Amino acid sequence: MAPARSNSLKISPKAIAWIDIAAIGAWGILLLEYWFTQKLSLLIHPSYNPLSFISGILLLTIAAYRAWTVVNQSRSKQPLPIVPHLSLLPNGVGSILLLGVAIAALFITPQPFNSTTAIQRGVGEIITNTQVKPQSFRAMTKPENRSLVDWIRTLQVMPEPDTYIGQKVKVKGFVVHPDNFSPQYFRITRFIVTCCAADAYPISLPVRLREGDRSSYKPDSWLDVEGTIIVETLANQRQLVIQANTLKPVPQPDRPYDY
Amino acid sequence: MEHFNSTFTLFLSLMIEAIPFLLIGVFFSGILTFFVSERQLLRWMPKNPLLGSLFGSCIGFLFPVCECGNIPVARRLMTQGAPASVAIGFLIAAPTINPIVFWATWTAFRDQPEIVFLRIGLSLAIATLMGFLFSLQSDLSPFLQPSLVTSLDARRKREQGRSVENSLLSSGTFFLGKSNNPLPTDDAQAMNTAMMEMVNQPIGLRIKLLVEGMAQELRELSAVLIVGSLVAAVIQSFVPREVVLGLGQDPVTSIVAMMTLAALVSICSTVDSFFALSFASTFTTGSLVSFLVFGPMIDLKAIGLLLTMFRPRAIFYLFAVAALLTFLAALVLNLFL
Repeated sequence: MAPARSNSLKISPKAIAWIDIAAIGAWGILLLEYWFTQKLSLLIHPSYNPLSFISGILLLTIAAYRAWTVVNQSRSKQPLPIVPHLSLLPNGVGSILLLGVAIAALFITPQPFNSTTAIQRGVGEIITNTQVKPQSFRAMTKPENRSLVDWIRTLQVMPEPDTYIGQKVKVKGFVVHPDNFSPQYFRITRFIVTCCAADAYPISLPVRLREGDRSSYKPDSWLDVEGTIIVETLANQRQLVIQANTLKPVPQPDRPYDY
Repeated sequence: MEHFNSTFTLFLSLMIEAIPFLLIGVFFSGILTFFVSERQLLRWMPKNPLLGSLFGSCIGFLFPVCECGNIPVARRLMTQGAPASVAIGFLIAAPTINPIVFWATWTAFRDQPEIVFLRIGLSLAIATLMGFLFSLQSDLSPFLQPSLVTSLDARRKREQGRSVENSLLSSGTFFLGKSNNPLPTDDAQAMNTAMMEMVNQPIGLRIKLLVEGMAQELRELSAVLIVGSLVAAVIQSFVPREVVLGLGQDPVTSIVAMMTLAALVSICSTVDSFFALSFASTFTTGSLVSFLVFGPMIDLKAIGLLLTMFRPRAIFYLFAVAALLTFLAALVLNLFL
C-alpha cells in the first residue's frame, strides 16, 4: 500500500533522507530552544524540563549521525541493508508534517491559557471541592504571604469561610468575568499544572470591588490584589470573597501556571 | 482565535510531553531488533496462550514504556516472531505494568495504597485476558495492517522452508562464512527478513542500523502522534470539561465520566496518576481506578499510533473490550467495596 502511494509523490529517496534529517533535527532544535527560552514553562511542569532537554540533545545527535551516514553512503556507493519498516503514511509525508509542525512551533510562541479556557474548564467549581491536595501545608504562614494556591490548599483543609474573616490577602492572578456574578465581582484566577497543559485546571477566588464595576479590569489582565477576607453568598453559595483594597495591574509572569 | 491559541498550546504540550517517551520506546524497539536474537526471544516465551499473555503483560518491567512507546516495541515483538498473545498482552499492559508508572502512582496515591494495587492488578488481569482473547483467533492477519502482515508472512514462509527442507527447490544464494541456509533471492521481503538476523552482524554495523531504524520509526510514529495529539487538542478545547465531568458522580456515571476523560485527555501513563489525584476528592474510587486503568490502554493520541499496527476494526475491538472490562471491574469496586 505504502510504496504505491509514495511512487505517486515522486520524491527521490535521497531527498526523503534529507527531509527526515531536517525533521528530526528541527524537533531537537525546537526542544532545546523552548528549554533555553523557558517557553517550556508554558507547556509542561518544570520537573519534565530535563527530559525535554535530553531528548533535544538525542534528537540532534540522531539527526547529525544520520546526516553523516547519508553523506558517507553516497560517497562509498555501498547501500546499507534495507530495514523493512511498516508505514502508515506515504514516504516523505510524515517527515514533511513533522518538519512543518516544528517550524510552526519555532515561529509561533504558544499562548498560556486564558479566561475563556478557565471558564470552559470550570472556574466556578465549588471551592471546598477544589482539586488541590495540600503538598506542603504550613499553618504558620501569614495570611498575606499566601499565594492563590496556598489559599485554596488552606481552604481544602479548613473549609469554613468564617475562620478567615478579616485576614489580609495579597494574591496574583488573572481576571475572569463569570456570567453568574454581578458586575461588582470578578474571579482572580490561576492555572495549576500537574504534568502538562493538557491537565491544567483553574483555581480562583471571587473578588469584590469597592466601587465601580469590573469593566475597568479586562478579562485575562494580570493583577496584584490586596484586600481583606469577607464572607458572602454568591451564586447561591456562601463563600470566601476578597474585599479588594488595591488592585495593581502587573505584567504576565514568566511562569503563568502554578504547580 | 482563542480556540486556536488554546488548541495550539494543548497540542504542543502533548507533543513535547510525549516525545521523550516515544524516544524511549523507539530505542527499546531498536535494541530488540539488533541486539536480541529471535531465537533467544522465542525461547523465553511460554507457548501456552494464557501464560504467554501473562508473560507479555509483564515484559513492561523490562521495557518501561508508556502508551507512546509501547507500540513500536509491540510491533517489533510481532515481527520478531513472538506469539500474538504475548504482543497484545504487552501492548495493553506495558504502559501500566512498569516500574516508572508504579513509582509515580505510589507517589501520587500514598494515602490510598489500594488504588495503586488495584491499578496494577486490574491492568494485569485485563491485559492478560485480552491477550488470551486475541490468541483464540488463529490467524490475526485480517486485523493487522497489510505491511505488518507482509513481514509476518515472510517470516512464516522462511520458517516453513526451513522445516520442510525444500530449500533445494527454491532459488537462493549463500554467503561465505554465514549459515548453511540459503539466502532466498526470489522474494525481496523474505530476503530482507533473513538479513534481519542482525544479532550476528558486527557491532559497528548494528549501531549504524540501530540509529537508522530509530530515525525511521521516530519519523513515522511522531508524524502519527502529531495527528493524534491534534485531534485530542481540538476536542479538548472545544468540549468544555464540565460536559464530561457533568456526566455524573454516582457509582455508574462517575466511571463513564472518568473513562471518557481518560480517552480525551490523552496524557502519558507515567504522569496520569498526578492528574487523577486532582479528582480524588470528588470522584469514587472505582472511577479513579477506571481512569488509571483505561487511560493507558486506549486514548485519542494513541489511536493514531495503534493504526500503524492494526486495522480500524481491530482497534475498535480492542477499544470495546478494554472499555467493557474496565467498566465492569470499576463497577464492582464501586458497588461492593
